[in-house]
Amino acid sequence: MTALSTPGFPEREIRARARNGTAEVFPDSRTYGTRLYGPGAGTAADGLDRARIVPPVFMPQRLEKLIDLAREPEFTDVDLGARVGGFTARLPLYLSAFGSTRAGSGDLAVHAGRQAARLGIPMVIGENMIPVHGYRRAGDATRSALLARVEAYLDAAPDGIGGVVVQQSTEDADSEVWNLLYSDPAFRPLLETGRLAFELKTGQGAKPGLGGMTVVDRAEAEQLARRFTVREVLDPDGERQLRCATPGTFTDEILRQQLRFMRNNFPKARTWVKFHPGRDVAHAARTAWAAGADAVTVDGAEGGTGWAPGVFLDHVGLPLGECLRRIGRPDGCLLATGGMWEGGRAVRALALGATAVGLGRAALVAVDEDPEHGLEHLVDSIALELQLLISALGKYEVAALGPEDLWWPDGHPSYGADAPLLGVADPAGAAP
Amino acid sequence: MEQPLPAGAPATPPPLGEHLRSPRLRAAMLVQQEALHAARAFLRGEGFTELLPPLVGPVTDPGGRGAKALDVDYYGHPYKLMTSAILYKQASLRGFPRLFYVAPNVRVEPEETATTGRHLVEFHQIDVEIADGSREDAQEIAAGLLTHVTEHVWTAVPEILSELGRMEGDFADIRAGKYDVCTHDDAVSRLLAAGHPQNPDGEIDWAGERLLSLESDRPFFVNDYPKGSRGFYDREDPERPGVLRNFDLIAPHGYGELVSGSEREADYATIVTRMRESGENPAKYAWYLKEARDGMPASAGFGMGLQRLVRFLTGLDALWQVSAYPKLPGVVAP
Repeated sequence: MTALSTPGFPEREIRARARNGTAEVFPDSRTYGTRLYGPGAGTAADGLDRARIVPPVFMPQRLEKLIDLAREPEFTDVDLGARVGGFTARLPLYLSAFGSTRAGSGDLAVHAGRQAARLGIPMVIGENMIPVHGYRRAGDATRSALLARVEAYLDAAPDGIGGVVVQQSTEDADSEVWNLLYSDPAFRPLLETGRLAFELKTGQGAKPGLGGMTVVDRAEAEQLARRFTVREVLDPDGERQLRCATPGTFTDEILRQQLRFMRNNFPKARTWVKFHPGRDVAHAARTAWAAGADAVTVDGAEGGTGWAPGVFLDHVGLPLGECLRRIGRPDGCLLATGGMWEGGRAVRALALGATAVGLGRAALVAVDEDPEHGLEHLVDSIALELQLLISALGKYEVAALGPEDLWWPDGHPSYGADAPLLGVADPAGAAP
Repeated sequence: MEQPLPAGAPATPPPLGEHLRSPRLRAAMLVQQEALHAARAFLRGEGFTELLPPLVGPVTDPGGRGAKALDVDYYGHPYKLMTSAILYKQASLRGFPRLFYVAPNVRVEPEETATTGRHLVEFHQIDVEIADGSREDAQEIAAGLLTHVTEHVWTAVPEILSELGRMEGDFADIRAGKYDVCTHDDAVSRLLAAGHPQNPDGEIDWAGERLLSLESDRPFFVNDYPKGSRGFYDREDPERPGVLRNFDLIAPHGYGELVSGSEREADYATIVTRMRESGENPAKYAWYLKEARDGMPASAGFGMGLQRLVRFLTGLDALWQVSAYPKLPGVVAP
């Protein structure tokens, strides 16, 4: 250290990089497993949160409800039921995948799943569960863990309600996760009740364009080295190492064909696809729906529970609001995640075309607070806000929400106000 | 998707010893022996060389329709039992421009296929590949093979076929070499017109295939399956993107698919792209892609299911009745 100083320059950060090199590209790896990562506070708010929810004075849909009920409608008359990616859900919500990070794959995930079932909302099980944790090859431990989650979900879910979604990414494809599960007799109850979906994961909000990343210790690193890239970038001794999955290569034709392949190979499972908040997300979503996807999940740049380089958390990807604006009126079931934890943001996303919104970090924090009922309590509060807000808008079902229910102080255009907006997509991502 | 087994066949085999002692199995094996003899004679006559196929490898045919490969621990490496030796057939072409296997295959089929009467976990294929061949070349060999085998069994063991209830007249078209051709589009239209739901982007489902087969009195080729319904090695028609230069050969009277074949993709970059389109990780196929990069001949070929062929010849209800050691999907058997 010298006496040199550089006012106005990020000297502290530069000195940290000079000392620690590549480790400074990431959050402190010692916090891994106990911290949920996401964008810094300064970048968390997107256009979606700036929009105000604006009830009209005249409410013809309230009159319809009044006629239907023969009494003045109340907020409790709002029907929150939804069809979420081919499943029947009690609420326009679902439990997002937590990925294979330590914080997301332990007991908390099991508690969250059981509560999601009781709430009657679908549950997504993250990618990389199998190649990281093994399936039959590594003994029955992982299979039991996965099945325990599924069985707990089935036990607690009301008949015919909810569903389980299993992600697969490039590394999972090596381990043929869907094939294993589809032919595993333990999954038959889900298949027979139409409550199994497979989600093709092409990216995630926390690190658009990259594959999954976790921090592993030296022993795990050696064990995983054959299936994953493992890099010593976190500390000079290699005690903690970075395990990287590849994101996989997609073009519109590759996506279309992979979805067709899923539908051909797993005809009894629903087909979901998840996109990172890319600049051509509208083209991607349209391609997926046209290829028969039952649901398209868009993970805004606010999303993600997982480990990611700081520059990605704070600087990469479209905010959820912009994703929804670019997609415009959806051609199918659109699911939105990223920064969801209360009713206001959820209503804004639903008004912009989402069928349901996913809870990721919020669900983990809730079950961390109260493993038995934390998620249920959180969701009860969101559901109440949804009923209050939707009824205030003079509407009594989720699907009735629309862009006319929102107003942006800075004139942020919604697809209803300024259509067509699809032409604004980057030419590189434009439809052929 | 599921369909009941035709009346007359129990859904599952009796205990193995009893099955092996049954006169019906004996009859089927005598027909199989003649069929194999005839197949080898025909193919050798057409200039083909018989190789013996590999049993395990780092990758195998990724297949489709939810069938999966069995894992083998190979000196610590995860290997697969062959679901088909298609990749090895292509790799062999420079040394053996016309080759065939009688190949054992293992596919862990979805349990719902146990009741189709047409699926076994362990089965054999007469697996043929022709360097620089076209789809039409492959179809000509497939048709010639079926005709020749049929002719031979009706000459060598007519009394067995008659005892099993087969009518010689039902085979007249095949013995005369008369085959029909339609496209996947035609097949889908016929199924939809008959009220059978059929995904136009997909493989024709088992029930649909049976319907088409029941409607027909002579065997027929179905050409031009859509991309996404078949493996990455089936060549896409350069003139018609999304359409594959492939085919199935369907037996008449409800016996269903006997053969799947295609022109093969031989261009390295196209193979890699097609692998991604079918969700495969190209890194797993390193040895095969090296062959492709070094220059694999264009080819066409097919696999004819041996047990399906024998079932068709004998007229037995279920595929397990023509396998000495049958393993039905989802049924744990010795």
